[in-house]
Amino acid sequence: MAIAKAERLMNLALCLMNTRRPLSKKELRESVEAYREAWQQGSEDAFNRMFERDKDDLRELGLIIDVDENALDGEIGYLARRDRNRLPEIALDAEEAAALALAARVWQQAKMSGAASGALQKLRAAGVPFAEDREHGALEPRIPGREAAFEPLLTAARDRRPVTFDYRKAGAATAEPRSVEPWALECWRGHWYLAGYDRDRGSARVFRLSRITGKVRSRAGAFTGEVPEHVDVRAVVARFAGEGATAVARVKVRSGAAYPLRQRALETRPVDADWDELDIPYGNGLGADLAEYGPDVIVIGPEDLRADVIDRLRAVAGLAEVQA
Amino acid sequence: MSNAIDQTRRMLSLVTYLRERPGAEVAEVARAFGITERELIGDLNVLPMCGTSFRGGDLLDIDTDGERIWWHNVDDVAQPLRLAADEATALLVAARAVAGLPGLRERDRQALTRAVAKIEDAAGENAESAARIGVTFEAEGTVFADIDRALSEGRLIWLRYWSHGRGELTEREVDPIRLVTEGHTYLEGWCRTSEDRRTFRLDRIAEIKVLDEPANPPRLQPRDLSAGLVAPTADDPQVVVEVGPGGRWVAEYYTHDSAEELPDGGLRITLRSAEPAGLRTLALRLGRDGRITAPAQLAEQARTAALAALEHYRDGQV
Repeated sequence: MAIAKAERLMNLALCLMNTRRPLSKKELRESVEAYREAWQQGSEDAFNRMFERDKDDLRELGLIIDVDENALDGEIGYLARRDRNRLPEIALDAEEAAALALAARVWQQAKMSGAASGALQKLRAAGVPFAEDREHGALEPRIPGREAAFEPLLTAARDRRPVTFDYRKAGAATAEPRSVEPWALECWRGHWYLAGYDRDRGSARVFRLSRITGKVRSRAGAFTGEVPEHVDVRAVVARFAGEGATAVARVKVRSGAAYPLRQRALETRPVDADWDELDIPYGNGLGADLAEYGPDVIVIGPEDLRADVIDRLRAVAGLAEVQA
Repeated sequence: MSNAIDQTRRMLSLVTYLRERPGAEVAEVARAFGITERELIGDLNVLPMCGTSFRGGDLLDIDTDGERIWWHNVDDVAQPLRLAADEATALLVAARAVAGLPGLRERDRQALTRAVAKIEDAAGENAESAARIGVTFEAEGTVFADIDRALSEGRLIWLRYWSHGRGELTEREVDPIRLVTEGHTYLEGWCRTSEDRRTFRLDRIAEIKVLDEPANPPRLQPRDLSAGLVAPTADDPQVVVEVGPGGRWVAEYYTHDSAEELPDGGLRITLRSAEPAGLRTLALRLGRDGRITAPAQLAEQARTAALAALEHYRDGQV
């Protein structure tokens, strides 16, 4: 029976951490049973590939593995120095530990959730006083990560690696290939966005992860564009969602109707028993927001907004050709 | 069942943890690591096969009788390990996001902020990439604080709530169960008015009062939220929406049974809704980007509403 991967990784980690001098690949092959098997039953190549992957996996887990190119008479040597791999002293009080334990539960995405619990396990092993009972409190923040593009983009942004992917712009019928240097990811209103340098367009762009179709592919080489000191993805996305508008629209709203609109109103004036007049920030997407309330809302102005809403209503009423 | 990476990560911490606790109880260790006893026993079966040299025979001599765990040849390989970049990022991004939640108790916010600073220190350069990930939680701070108080004091809540489905403000009495944040913040509670479990979005609460009456929600299994906060059931009526490329967002915002690609780059989306009448607003919002194709009655309601709205715009009116 093949030896489980976790056992193999564990053995490699222990060997590398326990040695005072660099170990050669041959020595590691002799020490780790799974490598001996792979080498005896498979081939030198099979062992080499396995060893390279395992080193990468351990590095993902935070282990620093030093590579000494000429440690053993021309042979490459490997070791994980204890001083470099030790968690520095960290003193968290019970309140701080409880707050962190809550935060560690918020990731719904498998990789980040695993990383967060892994971090807590390391801290706990180092003596941080987390409460033993894991009673869920009544507060449950959740960070989603349902988009397939999330994990590869997270890694690419971390390692500053360029990527390519197919992207369907809002309202576009088809997807187009994009070549991007990923700077930052932002989760806003439960959806993930990527900001980065679009190589073909030669400028910064924001992408919504759910509109990425197909695979995110990592590209060789470094970033060519300069990475800004501070990337404010949220401001860009919020602007697109109609926030931060400076223009003002005037609408009439039936009494008691359209509470969400009233909540956004800068000013509300009663007109008569049936209608109120509202001033509302006029940002992107307001036409759709207003049309949603049907006969409970009347747009007074500006004229382009009024025309937009009438156009939308005509489409729903079947008085205009619908594209769908 | 955890994957090999997570299991390796856990076993490395486990040996450090066990080193300080000879005779540790299985149940307690499992709880501490957030795993089942079965998973822990699985780890304990692997560890004796691990060591610094298979050939040299210096394997970890760890064993258990099912109740307690003993490590007979404790050595110093088991030092606390530094945080990996992803580990530091996962903790820091989450802690900063929660600390930014409007309405969070000041004491908790300060504890989080202090913890973030300490983790940053401990993680060193591995904390850097956390700055590239941001998460915003939105909540109405004062409403949040009121609900939080009602939850901790175990009291009933009175709400004036905008029902999106019915398009009107409704009054309800709610036994609060929990506050859930995913982008927006929601109150999950037992609605005494409708005698059912309900989810209320905080930004649609027009007015809230924490009543003197104690809350007494029925004992319910916590709802599984992995499919989304608003999860329709198979009994709910089916609605079919056909959208053009400009209406593809519907598939992202509505939990749906299926989304079939259409030749023009649009989608045919089949979804379920406990209150299909509420989807009238979806049809109105879509405009020329899509339409409801079934049930016909719902499509007709949207058309009637649009015609009634257009009446307002006939010459001379407003």
